[in-house]
Amino acid sequence: MPGTIAVNLARIAIIIAVLALWEVLSRTGIVNLRLLPSASDTFATLGDLLQRAAVRKDLMVTATEVLAAFALAVPFGAVIGFLVAENRYFADVAKPLLFFAFSIPKSIFLPMFILVFGVGFAQKVGFGFFSTIFIVIMSTTTAVESVKTEHLTVARSYGATRLQTAFRVYLPSMLPVLLEALRISMIFNLTGVILAEMYASRDGIGHQIATWGENFQMKQLLAGVVMVAAIAMTFNELVRWVETRCSHWRT
Amino acid sequence: MQPLANVTPLKPPARAGAIEVNNVGQVFKTRSQDVVALEDVSLEIKPGRFVVLVGPSGCGKSTLLMMMAGLRQQTSGTITINGAPIPQPDPDRVGVVFQEASLFPWLTAEDNVEFPLALRGVPKAERRAKAQDALKLVGLDGFGKRHPHELSGGMKQRVSIARGLVQDPPVLLMDEPFAALDEQTRMTMGDELLRIWAATGKTVVFVTHSLTEAVYLADEVIVMSARPGRIVDHLQVQLPRPRTYEMLSGDAFGSLRDRIWRHIRKSA
Repeated sequence: MPGTIAVNLARIAIIIAVLALWEVLSRTGIVNLRLLPSASDTFATLGDLLQRAAVRKDLMVTATEVLAAFALAVPFGAVIGFLVAENRYFADVAKPLLFFAFSIPKSIFLPMFILVFGVGFAQKVGFGFFSTIFIVIMSTTTAVESVKTEHLTVARSYGATRLQTAFRVYLPSMLPVLLEALRISMIFNLTGVILAEMYASRDGIGHQIATWGENFQMKQLLAGVVMVAAIAMTFNELVRWVETRCSHWRT
Repeated sequence: MQPLANVTPLKPPARAGAIEVNNVGQVFKTRSQDVVALEDVSLEIKPGRFVVLVGPSGCGKSTLLMMMAGLRQQTSGTITINGAPIPQPDPDRVGVVFQEASLFPWLTAEDNVEFPLALRGVPKAERRAKAQDALKLVGLDGFGKRHPHELSGGMKQRVSIARGLVQDPPVLLMDEPFAALDEQTRMTMGDELLRIWAATGKTVVFVTHSLTEAVYLADEVIVMSARPGRIVDHLQVQLPRPRTYEMLSGDAFGSLRDRIWRHIRKSA
């Protein structure tokens, strides 16, 4: 691709410009220093926080909740999505209902999760699962539908067994869509867990961020934001990297 | 189970590549009515012949081809390949070449060609060797490592033909393989196919919409009518081989094409 370097340079320039603007706005007092601590102070605070055992423990708690919710929602959602796509009757019945369910903001159910599960680990995982599973179901359905009939006919005409068709036609056809689904699911999942932590919790990074906010500790709050953003972006980029490696299939 | 007393066949065994279609009918049941797609189709194709099926859309020519491939079952009548019926696809007897976009985009050209062999667990080295031979036969030596999106339309169809030939079946069935190609590529691919056919001696059954393509390629042209699909004419194309571009403008060619066109106009 021509101009990749120029594009990357432009991106870096924008990031630097945003950080510089942040620093200037705060240092010159255009924005109240107590509302917007400077970028340099925020990053210094971030360094301090990461040294603290309590913060690291909160990060671990959140990571465990996120991974548990993800590990439950993805296989469950994938199986349901597969059944919906493969079974005509099931699809007719379930598809519109799933679309309805997907359109409802999941956050309004959070109080119910607290009533049922309390404010511990189960509530976070439960709500994370609930926030994620609909998008997994819908993406899997799309992935199954992306398998071309021509390709299935080719496999059949050369005597492929069911298992061979599954691994040699379905899986590779679906993989690009599934990877994309995985990436988007993680965004929903992370949002769900952090929201549950901020709403009612005793630990986790979301709980910390909410507490810092309530106590007007803006430096810590912003450092927490940077932390969560970095984690989310790292996961996103990881999956995207895998995606680009098999992107030539899509054409 | 075949009783031992029947070891001596009543008829001499059919030669590899012979196709017999006897009184084949196909009825699609819809909610309101039964649609007769094929009616009493009978046809005998001798080994090594190049036979083209033509007819208006919906005449059931592709359906008939899919039945010969074992991908579909007829409602009535029998179809035999090498003297035996074909209740399911049998890659030992029949190779199939589909329309464009039937290659797997995630596999390289050689992996696509190896696909039928991989399904049967043929060892890697043997698979590769056979795929190389097939690619060489279709004129794609050295293109094995490319993915389908890196190949032109004509090259993709060459890969499809190589995939159909890689197990060396006596019969090659082709379902409008060049329909998506531009005119020039289509002509070139026709010549290429005739070269490959002459080199391998396969029985070829080829479905097309193009009358020119039909007459240019075929030993025999089977003309079918629209619903219900029936055989309305069976022409022997006596033009000498190799076929050349100049024949297209000759009288013999023109009168054959006109004869097919009159049938099709009547039923369309």
